[in-house]
Amino acid sequence: MSIPARLLLALVAGLLCWGVIRNVSPLKTGGFVVEQTGRIDEKPFFKNELINPEQGLPMVHVASLAQMPDGIMAAVWYGGTAECQPDVKIYFSQQEPGAAWTAPRVIMTRERAERDLRRPVKAIGNALLLANTDGSLRLLFVTIAMGKWSGSQLNSCLSNDGGLTWTRAERLTLSPFFNFSELVRNRAVPLVGGGWCVPIYQEFLGKFPELLWLKEQQGEQGHRGQLLYRKSRIAGGCSSFQPALIPLNTSRALVFLRDYTDNRKIFISRSDDGGIFWKKPMPTKLPNPDSGISGLKLSDGKLLLAYNNSTLSRDNLTIAVSDDQGETWEKLVTLEKESGSTFSYPFLSRSPDGLIDLAYTRKGKEIAVTSFNEAWIAETCASLSKIKSEAKHP
Amino acid sequence: MSAQILHQFYACLAPWLALSLLLLGRNPFLSRLRLFGSLLLAFFLLRIPLGGWSLFSWFRTLEMNPSFTLTGLLCLALCQRLSGQMIFRAEDWRAAWIVGAIGSLLLYPMGLGLTPIDPYSWGWGPAVSIVTAAFATLLLIRGNRFGIILILPLLGSLLNLQESVNFWDALIDPFYGGVSLIAVILIVIQSFRKCGPSV
Repeated sequence: MSIPARLLLALVAGLLCWGVIRNVSPLKTGGFVVEQTGRIDEKPFFKNELINPEQGLPMVHVASLAQMPDGIMAAVWYGGTAECQPDVKIYFSQQEPGAAWTAPRVIMTRERAERDLRRPVKAIGNALLLANTDGSLRLLFVTIAMGKWSGSQLNSCLSNDGGLTWTRAERLTLSPFFNFSELVRNRAVPLVGGGWCVPIYQEFLGKFPELLWLKEQQGEQGHRGQLLYRKSRIAGGCSSFQPALIPLNTSRALVFLRDYTDNRKIFISRSDDGGIFWKKPMPTKLPNPDSGISGLKLSDGKLLLAYNNSTLSRDNLTIAVSDDQGETWEKLVTLEKESGSTFSYPFLSRSPDGLIDLAYTRKGKEIAVTSFNEAWIAETCASLSKIKSEAKHP
Repeated sequence: MSAQILHQFYACLAPWLALSLLLLGRNPFLSRLRLFGSLLLAFFLLRIPLGGWSLFSWFRTLEMNPSFTLTGLLCLALCQRLSGQMIFRAEDWRAAWIVGAIGSLLLYPMGLGLTPIDPYSWGWGPAVSIVTAAFATLLLIRGNRFGIILILPLLGSLLNLQESVNFWDALIDPFYGGVSLIAVILIVIQSFRKCGPSV
């Protein structure tokens, strides 16, 4: 190459680089919206119901909830013969305030995912709903290209009519090695200035927690445009995953992690810079039988956690509170317990009116939702303190 | 053309070029029939349905984002084969393999969870594209032709030809990374053999 040609090409490289940099996604990470506080002056409230009492599927699993701005609660989960099977579908149900859950409706199938993504899909799986402030619903769901969960990818579609119809699904590229394997499960946290921080995790060579940062980019004439996204890592390795993210304020947050080691403890990690850097995950005193957990912050600053209180099985579902940001825990109540059964994958969500909803997989065949308020938590805490005090000073 | 169709079309280029090269073989006598026959045969072979989907679709399931570097190198190899001229010299290929090997060693172990640091996340910012442009400029000023190929990820990324919006996917993919690692190992072995004591 002649010298002028080399210089010209170098100039072209520089100009293209400048263009690429100008095109870099404007999505910023950090800045959590702290969850709505509840009303402690209310009467204690507690209710338990099934979303899908007569669905009759051999297996249902991984429920997630999202409350729309009009107060309607929406839920999604997947069901079929078994995990990772081609007949698995994603179901949707909704509940208007004071009404019953609507009959489950299929919103995503393997065949539809194949059509939308224009490539073979072996099965579909975990789904997560995000309720945008403009009333639209964003669905994130897992498709499996090959193998099992390690061969999965994350996809997304949008509904502008409360879940009736959904846009064509698009794939998110989140991993460098054949885009294997990103999964979603726990509640997303809204961000200051719009957007979401979604806890995700990888299950390919290692199992480790990550965060997906999402923002709907407004297109022309107010229509939704491109979905902006990027991800960051909480921890590497092969020891903990399925992060449950709890923001303490706009910049401080902690995650509780499912344990994949012989420690059999729930792990905790903290961030002081809006979720960009995380401290090394450390075990808490709470047990974990390699199962999912969920948590949120209460209005008085206490933390609420739903988990399986066992190192061996998922035969119980328990909630505990911590008033020292996860250092120590007080077991509040065992919601379910039955030897040989499973109560798993809790999903805690809070409505703007302060009601806390806990969705979970009940015996592998039902999706249950337990609803309670902070007054009920305060009452239960008070009764526990009374029992403890009486035991100390009979 | 919608962006999704453009991405699908781009993702089919690399397997088509690779299979065409394989079908052409190493025979130095290339007739026009053999040339066009190989390109057409590769296209139709990749259109064969398997389980209801073409091989193109199965490839897209595995790798939706072949890097622009890989696609560029395959195009170049095909052009060299067709023209019979050496467009890339040994040092140009060496630069291609070294960049691929270093990139894959940096990206894949850490990107797949070896450490708390995730270099893949850098690809959503400007860092990787700046380093690529700087390296391409350096190679071009030194007269290394691989610098031209390194411009392609910048161009492809700017034109939004890939499904991925992460610059790493424009620069490197597991196929290019894997071949580069093997090539670098072979180069190292060869150089050791050359330096070894003569008997």
